[in-house]
Amino acid sequence: MSMLATEEKISVTGDLSTTGTRIEDGGRRLGLMLTLPAQLLVLFIAVFPLLMQLYISLTDWSPLDGIGWWQAYELWNNFANYTDLAVDSRFWDALGRTALVMLICVPAEFLLGLGLAILFMDNFAGKRVFYSIMLIPMMVVPAVAGYMFFMLFQSGGPVNDIISTLIGRPFALAWLSSPGTALIAVMIADIWQWTPLMFLILLAGLVGVPEDQMRAATLLGASWSQRFRTIVMPKMKTIIIIALSIRVIENFKIFDTLYIMTGGGPGVATETISVYIYKVTQQDLIWGYVAAIALVILIALSILVSLAISRMNAAKEA
Amino acid sequence: MTAIHLENLVKRFGAFTALKTMDLEIRDGEFMALLGPSGCGKSTTMNMIAGMEQPSEGRITFDGRDMNGVAMGRRGVGFVFQNYAIFTHMNVYDNLAYGLKVRGTPASEIDRRVKAMADFLQLTPMLDKPSAKLSVNILQRLAIGRSAIVEPAIFLLDEPLSNVDAAFRAVMRTELKHLQRQFRQTMVYVTHDQLEAMTMADRIAVMDHGVLQQVGTPLEVYNDPVNLFVADFIGSPGMNLLKGVLADSDRGLVADLGALGITAPIDPALSATARKHGIREVVYGFRPERVVLAGAGQGIAMPVTFIERIGARTVVHFGDGEQRVKAVFDNDVAVQTGETVHVAVEPGFARLFDAATGVAIREV
Ligand SMILES: Nc1ncnc2c1ncn2[C@@H]1O[C@H](COP(=O)(O)OP(=O)(O)O)[C@@H](O)[C@H]1O
Ligand SMILES: [Mg+2]
Repeated sequence: MSMLATEEKISVTGDLSTTGTRIEDGGRRLGLMLTLPAQLLVLFIAVFPLLMQLYISLTDWSPLDGIGWWQAYELWNNFANYTDLAVDSRFWDALGRTALVMLICVPAEFLLGLGLAILFMDNFAGKRVFYSIMLIPMMVVPAVAGYMFFMLFQSGGPVNDIISTLIGRPFALAWLSSPGTALIAVMIADIWQWTPLMFLILLAGLVGVPEDQMRAATLLGASWSQRFRTIVMPKMKTIIIIALSIRVIENFKIFDTLYIMTGGGPGVATETISVYIYKVTQQDLIWGYVAAIALVILIALSILVSLAISRMNAAKEA
Repeated sequence: MTAIHLENLVKRFGAFTALKTMDLEIRDGEFMALLGPSGCGKSTTMNMIAGMEQPSEGRITFDGRDMNGVAMGRRGVGFVFQNYAIFTHMNVYDNLAYGLKVRGTPASEIDRRVKAMADFLQLTPMLDKPSAKLSVNILQRLAIGRSAIVEPAIFLLDEPLSNVDAAFRAVMRTELKHLQRQFRQTMVYVTHDQLEAMTMADRIAVMDHGVLQQVGTPLEVYNDPVNLFVADFIGSPGMNLLKGVLADSDRGLVADLGALGITAPIDPALSATARKHGIREVVYGFRPERVVLAGAGQGIAMPVTFIERIGARTVVHFGDGEQRVKAVFDNDVAVQTGETVHVAVEPGFARLFDAATGVAIREV
């Protein structure tokens, strides 16, 4: 019945638009004129920092040089920032580390979030309470989460205490000051904090899977895993891509919790791109170089995201 | 090809009882219609047969096998949902193929059977179309095809035609009957449209307010309704029901139709039952199709209030205060609004109901 109603509606609007072409032509021009200032403003806000960044990245400019950024062209350096970047092993290590963290954290958050969301599709005692508890990590201020995990992973901290109890002998690993484990601790903190977001988004997706289609599939003999693969996943494709995109972008910028836990150390053991940029900006003050790094990363991320979006559009059309 | 037996089936949703002690035997290969007004528990009954809902009491057996605890995917039941539940993210072909795919049927056989089914339901030109944008008529056929392709022993259809347009409904009534003859499944068909039930079903189970009222062939429920609800619900228009009081006369027991000022003689067999149960207040019923025009001084004299033409049929409304009568004639009829006409009931077609309980008075 709803479908009939839509067909009717479409035909009605169709009629209106044929009689209204003349008005529409003028209307379009007027609309453009009315929104032009706003569009220019948005363009300016979005593009200006980028252009400025691009400009600075082509120079050796630093705020200590005593000249304004608009005069930075005097310090033009023939793309030296970019050629330096290509051979900056600390940058490439940080990038690799960031990618590693992302490749472990985001899938872990996705799988945990999905598993929890599936559990929450069923009814069980205390569901509401668990639901509220589930969301707490997401609401903790990252800096606070950082201090929390800093405490947890001390050599005499609760994590080691629990492990000691489990294995029955003293265990006193200095998680955050051993290069091998600091990154693990950092990733655990990230997974703890951001699994709830995945959970929340994926739960919304699961709830949106039409129940009657699931029933129809069951009645046709599909097992749970067949239903999951043939109905749930295709229906959730868009929302999964959105959830993953959000987390990939966010995780790539991982900084606050991590910085409080390890400061990027020991050494450079947990130095991700954000930490590296921060250090170069704050300590070395070579802003032209930072601008170049930031631009490269922005372009890389943009490519990643637009790939995801094109996948999403393809999914929608299919 | 399975006999379904519902035994003392009860379904409660919290404090609300949606289905009250339903007993129904659906025979192997039978086309059974569950007919009743909206909200009477038809879908609830179907959902329990399919295993989507669990009975609060009683049990369901398929060929004697207790279905309690048998998962819905393992009951061998095909189900056509009221809103079709087509997989909107798949095209027509994949929808049809779904049941075979999940069973691990070889691809070549899937292809053969999908094409055969598409051919049968005239879906061939649509096979590659995404199913999200199809018209209701096509969705409806697709839903039937998707269930039928796995050749379920039991086929359940929940108001499959309620959303489609009238012309297509008429076509589908024939097609569905044809489909069932071809596959010989046991078919349970839920509808609130008595025309669908009357034209397609081998037997009809009439329900109201969660209570099974009567089970019988279309003609049985039409000719011999067990109570006032069925008498009124079946037929369009429903049975004429006039209040009366039984009285003795020199012609035997008669129903005094009060304001109409006439008495209708009662069949001796029914009189015996009425006497035995001491029934006095009755409802005198007869089908509008069984009303004939009578000569002056005969039958019931009533003014014509309204004449309605429905296609080739003419429905004449007679009215006299509380007591109203409708008559259906196959053709035009020579009466005019305002005119007082004598009408009579064809001999043998009057029915008698106990006014207190609404139950039909039958021969014993
Ligand atoms: N899940 C449910 N929870 C509560 N009440 C329900 C539920 N399903 C159906 N009902 C009620 O049971 C009655 C019968 O419903 P249903 O079987 O769907 O009727 P219909 O004969 O129209 O198919 C209705 O009054 C309906 O509101
Ligand atoms: Mg229903």
